[in-house]
Amino acid sequence: MRLAWGLVAPLGLAYSAFFLAPLLILGVVSFYQDEAMTEFGTAQWRRFLLDQFHWKVIGDTLLLGLKTVAATLLLGLPLALVYRAASARWQRVLLFIVVMPLLTSVVVRTFAWIVILGREGLINRLVLDLGLAAEPLRLLQTELGLVISLTQIEMPLLLLPVLAVMVRIDPNVLDASASLGASRWRTLFRVILPLAAPGIAAGCALVFASATTAFISQSVIGGSRLVYLPAIIWQQAMVVAHWPFAATAAISLLLSVSAVIAVIATAGRIAAGRVEAPTHG
Amino acid sequence: MSMNRRRALFGAASLLALPAPLRAQTRGSVTTAIYPGAWEEAFRDHVAPFLKQQSGVDLEMQPLFAVDQIAKFSASRGVPPFDVFVLDPGPRITGIERGMFDKFDASRLSNQALLPSMLVDGWGVGCAAQVVGIAYNPKRVPKPSGYADLFKEPWVSKLGLTGFGTTFGTVSLIEIAKIFGGSEVNIDPALVELKKALPKIAAVGAPAAMPGLFQQGQCAVMYTNTQTVTTLKDRGVDIEFAVPETGASAFFTTMHIAKGSENVANAYKYIDTTVGRDIQAALQKPPYNFVPVNKDVPLLSGLPMKSLDDMTKFVTHDWAKINPLRAAWIEKFNREMAK
Amino acid sequence: MARRPNLGAASYVLVVGLLAALALLILVGPVLVVLATSLTDSRAIRFPPQGLSLRWYELLLDTVRSRPIHRAAGNTLQVAALAAGLATLLGTAAAIGISTMRGRLGRLMDAFFLSPLVLPGLAFGLAALVYFTLLRLRPSLELLVIGHFIVITPFVLRTVGASMSQLDPALPEASRSLGAGPWRTFRRVTLPLIAPGIAAGGFLAFMASVDNVPVSLFLSSARTDMLPIRMWGMMESTLDVRVAAVSGLLILAAFLLMLVMERLTGLTRRIRG
Repeated sequence: MRLAWGLVAPLGLAYSAFFLAPLLILGVVSFYQDEAMTEFGTAQWRRFLLDQFHWKVIGDTLLLGLKTVAATLLLGLPLALVYRAASARWQRVLLFIVVMPLLTSVVVRTFAWIVILGREGLINRLVLDLGLAAEPLRLLQTELGLVISLTQIEMPLLLLPVLAVMVRIDPNVLDASASLGASRWRTLFRVILPLAAPGIAAGCALVFASATTAFISQSVIGGSRLVYLPAIIWQQAMVVAHWPFAATAAISLLLSVSAVIAVIATAGRIAAGRVEAPTHG
Repeated sequence: MSMNRRRALFGAASLLALPAPLRAQTRGSVTTAIYPGAWEEAFRDHVAPFLKQQSGVDLEMQPLFAVDQIAKFSASRGVPPFDVFVLDPGPRITGIERGMFDKFDASRLSNQALLPSMLVDGWGVGCAAQVVGIAYNPKRVPKPSGYADLFKEPWVSKLGLTGFGTTFGTVSLIEIAKIFGGSEVNIDPALVELKKALPKIAAVGAPAAMPGLFQQGQCAVMYTNTQTVTTLKDRGVDIEFAVPETGASAFFTTMHIAKGSENVANAYKYIDTTVGRDIQAALQKPPYNFVPVNKDVPLLSGLPMKSLDDMTKFVTHDWAKINPLRAAWIEKFNREMAK
Repeated sequence: MARRPNLGAASYVLVVGLLAALALLILVGPVLVVLATSLTDSRAIRFPPQGLSLRWYELLLDTVRSRPIHRAAGNTLQVAALAAGLATLLGTAAAIGISTMRGRLGRLMDAFFLSPLVLPGLAFGLAALVYFTLLRLRPSLELLVIGHFIVITPFVLRTVGASMSQLDPALPEASRSLGAGPWRTFRRVTLPLIAPGIAAGGFLAFMASVDNVPVSLFLSSARTDMLPIRMWGMMESTLDVRVAAVSGLLILAAFLLMLVMERLTGLTRRIRG
């Protein structure tokens, strides 16, 4: 235990000095009564919490995160399975493809999504040419389009922890499962996924946190009709220079997103406990 | 932190070792905030070398949009991160209200006489004009005659909308409100009409996204300023500027000296250089496309006015009245436009 | 082994294959668009590109006309390397420490260390600037490193933490019972097993720093111009194609890195084999 504290201490100190302190400042600022920050009070918290609109925005923001997590899992996990089964060379190629989104700056990535999702974009051209629809589909500035674009950039965040865990799953365990007559689906759900659960939970937490705070993607691809909390924080902090309210909204986002992540982590722990085959052979 | 300390020690040691005159010379600088992109490019290419040559002052630039300047200045209380602000009217009022500027003494500018008097006050001086109207894609839609057209076909289904987050968005929404019976202090009619048209409107977007959306055909008409239109046109984008029948809106970008600045004398030299004839003429040319403020600089064609005096006919707005209302407008826009 | 002519196995291959193919499409599609855009001959970013040319890469590499971009890129890489290095070092240590803590304490620590990722960067940037100013520190490269370090460390913690929790506790114990000290056990047993996690976390942290806008916005000064902020300006006001070319270069660099690694691992295999 002493060793554990010794290992955590350096980061703990750094966080206390450079993260906790600014966070405390935010907390104090949120308890200023007015935007000129002259007296203390709970006016901003009341303004934020007693307004249904803000609750809807929080709900939408968390939902956006959950939808992104779901979409990323749905597409990412199959890719991870393919990766597991691939040869070493193909694994390197796949890894390169997985990290590619991280190599394109957010500035130009959002433009690429305009090109793909736009009314005259690639998808619509395909759909119209194939005669699948008479009218161009609305994808840009809809939640669907936003989730698709977030899935791309969040995929590496899910897959890197998942792959790091998956490559370490002992192939003998899978062989054992197969030789016991388990189908591939059963092996997947009862052996592979539970064994990879720590990585999946870690990835989900990263994806959720990053999707809910992805201000640039949300505002450029989602547009102004989809209102999420980061946009409100930006407007209040920057455009109207109302820091107390911005701080209130920021802390609310921090708390609500952390709560959901705690649930994800708990789910991950429970799932990891459910492995049918013996894990340590 | 040891890196920090080592660098500090190293820095102190090297400072002591430097001969005195060199140290004096490094003081001859001024740091200005500047809008990222075209503004920064223009100032780096023209203002910085000219200032260095004329006064021996080094110009350092920090690319920040107007709202970022206000936020960053407030966050670094008492230790200004830059000496000179470059602001639009809304943030300018915020800056005045919150005591962010030094008093400005225009008589310290050699170019004072060449600037229209409406550009100079006790807080700062205008360094560029901005003219706001409607931008459209001539290959996609006919020229709109005014803001009212934006609500009709064929424009409405190709309209790209922005909110009160920017100065050009705010003045355009005010102009729209006026058509439907609103005013500078009542934008509700604009929101009512926009809400009706909302299902047809092509995009309600972040200002930063608009050039990309326009280029890729998502929208073909939007409100913006002449500088954006000329710059994009120079780059081969199909875009034209239309003066609305109710008149183009005009406002000025102003420069202010930050309270607590340690380079006040250099700041005046820098501002004086910027509004001088040579620089104003250079900045008017492509690819920068500024609207000049110096009376000695003839206006190039392509601008919707022949001289600076014409600008008095343009629609202007009283930002002292608008600014206190803007926060509420932004909130209202969020709520009304939200799905 | 397969007793039934396997409908299950076929459906498995089909579903997994299709979803993985869709995943690849979503991953690669936008990147191809960016690459195509960067090769355009037109004067503004545009898709489809009009005429192919490398002129924007030439301009981007031009030491005179693109000097501010190079300076910003230098700052960005320097900050990212230092911040990601710090994050990997301290983050890995902390993740190992936390993994040995049981129950609620470990979870609490985990949540605390993840929180910078959850706080919008803008709010952290603002608060950090207020705080540093109170300490009488002015924006500098060091402060940028610290700010980035804080917001990117969660990537390392989470990835390494996941690798740790999968680690069989019997292995280090066995090593220790064979008389190996804790450091030797760590280097010879634990480290090789969690290395993929460390590499993944470090890479994520590095790229998160390279692409960070909000923290840099507040903590950079006139002398520490950062690349993503500069690119915003170029994109918003002029649709400058160099913005796409920057991403093209990054992808090319990563591709070359992959080839080199391919060669190296091939080489070691041949030497050993």
